[in-house]
Amino acid sequence: MSTNNIPLELKLNRKDFVSDQTVRWCPGCGDYAILAQVQKVLPTIGVPKENIVFISGIGCSSRFPYYMNTYGIHSIHGRAPTLATGLAITNPDLSVWVVTGDGDGLSIGGNHFIHAIRRNVDLNILLFNNRIYGLTKGQYSPTSPRGKVTKSSPMGSLDNPINPISLALAADATFVARALDADTKHLGEAFYEASQHKGTSLVEIYQNCVIFNPTEWESISDRRNRAETLLYLKHGEPMIFGKNRDKGVMLDGFNPIVVELGSGITEDDLLVHDETSKELAFILSSMSFPEFPVPVGVIRRVVRPTYTEGLLQQIKEAQDIKGPGDLYTLYTSADLWTISEHDEPQTAQSGELSQDVNEQYVDDLEQEPVETTFIQDLMVENTLADLKPKPPITVDADTSLEKAIRQMNTHNIGCLLITDDKDRLIGIFTERDVLMRVTGLVDDLAAADVGDYMTADPVALTADLPIAQALHEMSVHGFRHLPLVDSEYHPEGIISFRDVINHMKASFTDN
Amino acid sequence: MSDPNQDNIKEIDSVVIRFAGDSGDGMQLTGTQFTNTAAVFGNDISTMPDFPAEIRAPAGTLAGVSGLQVNLSDRDILTPGDAPQVLVAMNPAALKTSLPDLEEGGVIIVNTDAFTPANLKKAGYESNPLEDDTLKNYDVIKVPLTTVNREALKDIEGLSTKEKDRSQNFFALGIVFWMFERPLDTTLEWIDKKFGSKPAVAEANRRALQAGYNMGDTLRTFQQRFRVRPASLPPGTYRKVTGNEATAMGLVTAAKKMGKTLFYGTYPITPASDILHALAGLRNFDVRTFQAEDEIAAMGSVLGAAFGGAFAVTGTSGPGIALKSEAMGLGIMLELPMVIINVQRGGPSTGQPTKTEQSDLLQVMYGRNGESPIIVVAPRSPSDAFHMVYEAARLAVRAMSPAVMLSDGFLANSSEPWLIPNPDDIPEIPVEHPAPRDNGHGPFLPYKRDPETLARPWAIPGTKGLEHRLGGLAKAPDTGNVSYDPDDNIAMYEARKGKIARLADVIPEQDVFGPESGDLLVVSWGSTYGAVRSAVAKAQEAGYSVAHAHVRYINPLPRNFEKLLGQYKEVIVPEINGGQLAFILRGLFAMDIHSFAKMAARPFKISEVTNKIEEILG
Repeated sequence: MSTNNIPLELKLNRKDFVSDQTVRWCPGCGDYAILAQVQKVLPTIGVPKENIVFISGIGCSSRFPYYMNTYGIHSIHGRAPTLATGLAITNPDLSVWVVTGDGDGLSIGGNHFIHAIRRNVDLNILLFNNRIYGLTKGQYSPTSPRGKVTKSSPMGSLDNPINPISLALAADATFVARALDADTKHLGEAFYEASQHKGTSLVEIYQNCVIFNPTEWESISDRRNRAETLLYLKHGEPMIFGKNRDKGVMLDGFNPIVVELGSGITEDDLLVHDETSKELAFILSSMSFPEFPVPVGVIRRVVRPTYTEGLLQQIKEAQDIKGPGDLYTLYTSADLWTISEHDEPQTAQSGELSQDVNEQYVDDLEQEPVETTFIQDLMVENTLADLKPKPPITVDADTSLEKAIRQMNTHNIGCLLITDDKDRLIGIFTERDVLMRVTGLVDDLAAADVGDYMTADPVALTADLPIAQALHEMSVHGFRHLPLVDSEYHPEGIISFRDVINHMKASFTDN
Repeated sequence: MSDPNQDNIKEIDSVVIRFAGDSGDGMQLTGTQFTNTAAVFGNDISTMPDFPAEIRAPAGTLAGVSGLQVNLSDRDILTPGDAPQVLVAMNPAALKTSLPDLEEGGVIIVNTDAFTPANLKKAGYESNPLEDDTLKNYDVIKVPLTTVNREALKDIEGLSTKEKDRSQNFFALGIVFWMFERPLDTTLEWIDKKFGSKPAVAEANRRALQAGYNMGDTLRTFQQRFRVRPASLPPGTYRKVTGNEATAMGLVTAAKKMGKTLFYGTYPITPASDILHALAGLRNFDVRTFQAEDEIAAMGSVLGAAFGGAFAVTGTSGPGIALKSEAMGLGIMLELPMVIINVQRGGPSTGQPTKTEQSDLLQVMYGRNGESPIIVVAPRSPSDAFHMVYEAARLAVRAMSPAVMLSDGFLANSSEPWLIPNPDDIPEIPVEHPAPRDNGHGPFLPYKRDPETLARPWAIPGTKGLEHRLGGLAKAPDTGNVSYDPDDNIAMYEARKGKIARLADVIPEQDVFGPESGDLLVVSWGSTYGAVRSAVAKAQEAGYSVAHAHVRYINPLPRNFEKLLGQYKEVIVPEINGGQLAFILRGLFAMDIHSFAKMAARPFKISEVTNKIEEILG
């Protein structure tokens, strides 16, 4: 366990995490040891106390948040992972801990357990496994062995138990560990490692129910015997156990076997723990006492982006392409029509909306002729050349979408012109096309040609035409950009609505 | 296109057209194109889609019929119309399902090519209705659509006959455009955009549309053309909007007005899913949609997001609202703000996923364990969903409580013109989070209430010094510590109830259409608004003393509500359920209230309500 790199202001101690509530578990319950270790480890994980949240469901273990002086929710049966997921998506800076039991997490909440894990939401799930329902006073649980005699199964339970580690691995868990309430030091280490993992971390804790299932883990947790009954896993090290460190685990075909060292078998023959191997993790999860020592420690640990990281990345990408959301643009992204005070409706606009020009402004210009006399003159007398068109950026029709979009970004432009082998204009590809035809519709940008997504044979003008002509085309068709071509249809430049507005503005200033 | 036949054009103030065909015939698309054109032309419009629950029911069967009804008018209209006057039927099954609704003497355009013995049998016709006297009271226009469409498209290369047949719907649309004197521009533009990368398909659709129009123009098969002038709606810029679209935009708006991230955790379910689809495309607004593993997880995620300080919302329908009820109860106990959108559909159980009902009112009001009051609002029309979901957000934040918006399948999928608001004119929704603080200030009290609103503080994780625990167990005032003390229980119950009741101070008083007292008050809520308002208007014109109160705020009710009910001799509540609002009002006010319940999983027709009013008033 490392306590390095913790900022000075985070120097917390165990007492900072103890709430003012009286702990109400049964005397001798394994939950006390777990609570103590969590309170001991949290000051070392490098997270400010106010960024730590404990969320639980229902059951003995789920009282946990009340005893922690952090943020917390004691929620409803089985659903803690769902609340934790919503919270982690909302605020990725938090360290979110789910406290659950074998009944809460694997029975009523089994569905949420696997889905949180497969999404790799940044959570630490502490699964208290005592193989019994404690709070409802002693019925068999989904991890109870078949044949378990309880109040609800006087002749023995008929259900085969579920293996939480195998289940988590089936959901492709990125971090799985196991520990015992009785081995407190090792337990604390497992919590620390879980806290440092980005993504869903599962720690299965073999925990003792002193009232309803007191002997469940007795055979493996006895301090005097642990060296024989537990296999302490360490990444990169051979799997050795035994009081005299004279036993090991090796593979016989696909199956693990326990071997004695010596008589021809050396450490080199043993399995070496590899936290990144899913196959090995499955093998370890299948090993149970007394045929095998019980593997404890980190069983699997791999790096994969978390759910929230992926989501924030999508938000960033969307904002890079579309800009931060604008409500008016949202409202008007449909076919529009305008009804003016006295007229019958007449102005039909297509859904092609300008992000840089307020449509209403343009309508106002059109509807108030008194104000537009000067503008009309300006628009008719000045030519498109007066707008000082920007040079066009051209690509071939077989350019990939990926490259085309990169070009637009690189040059910070809203449209590309597509030319044929004689450099004649054959199409236009605009940011609107990216939005309407590409985003979310094209999976592989590198494999798609811009030619298939451009608008073919676009309207183009020559530079000697009056600005009014361009304004007319833009207003009738809803264009934001217009290419300029020479008499051979070679692109010469590109003008945008903004250029027209800027020109107007400059002309006003000149006057 | 010149029209020497001007005399044949009949001026009408409104018309109801239904497009019906097999679910593979593209009738939703055809109807939508017609609606868009009518809207852009300036008619007031109201639409109602009617599609099968099965994605692809067997072709030609009654179960597979998909339709879209459009009402266009030169004045303000409120419903998609009772009975269509024009029916476009692409096959015998479409004719059979729609004929009972059609107005007597109405126009039917049929595709005669689809009236094959096999299709007639699938529709359950013993003899061909085009040949016997089934349609004798209608003006039937028989068009061999498949044949004429193939003929029009014969020299288009690169398309199979089957692919060409797919544009039949555009041929039919062309005919209707001609009948109603509508320009083709909007649809031609749409074809270009939609099929830009498939020139042959675009050409086929263009040509089919044009050929249909020309067929009307040159062959003059039809007795009648119609002209519906533009409506005189208030000035401004308009678009067409469905209830689900308006809900999505309202949510994004409310989030912006709170200065918050919108979290939308949901599980796909008809007919609420379109809200998720709309929001999932708005990542640039920092909209965080989360498709959960089930309805319960969706509700749980909303609780977590609300705790984290997001504007947390879920949407559901039908059995989904039942699954959410336990977690909604926790939301009430945690006292966190959130919005639950329930797009009601036909029930019980799976019921009728694509049909409409108002039958979840009692479920959302009372369908949780324990005393768990919740805010309930209901929009009255598609565009009103924009406003009411914003209201749900405002009230939820003010009271620190979950709020339910009861939409329904009818208004979710129907559309109407929407006068686009200026977002700057929409007020901010004030949100307060307690500030961080250092140690030594005593314990933070998460259930210390604002004396005016009774709301508790919304302290969010990440705020220094405000660490606290919430939970579903009974608790003490102020500290929120677990408590089973009887006095604490009473105090917390009263507070949870009182903070909802106090919202009556910040919602509008109930308005009334018609006299302030009189013989009859018709009380309605939700999507029945259009039919009920039109029916009351008709009854008033006929001289009856009748008024209409349409309720948009259901819990709490407007503060003048009880007094209002007392001003009339009789009160009747028409509802698309077994009489749920009537049941609530009787319980609240101990008054004799008539219920007019319709359990057909279909909206009211105006005439049904008018008849009921006349029945009561004699």
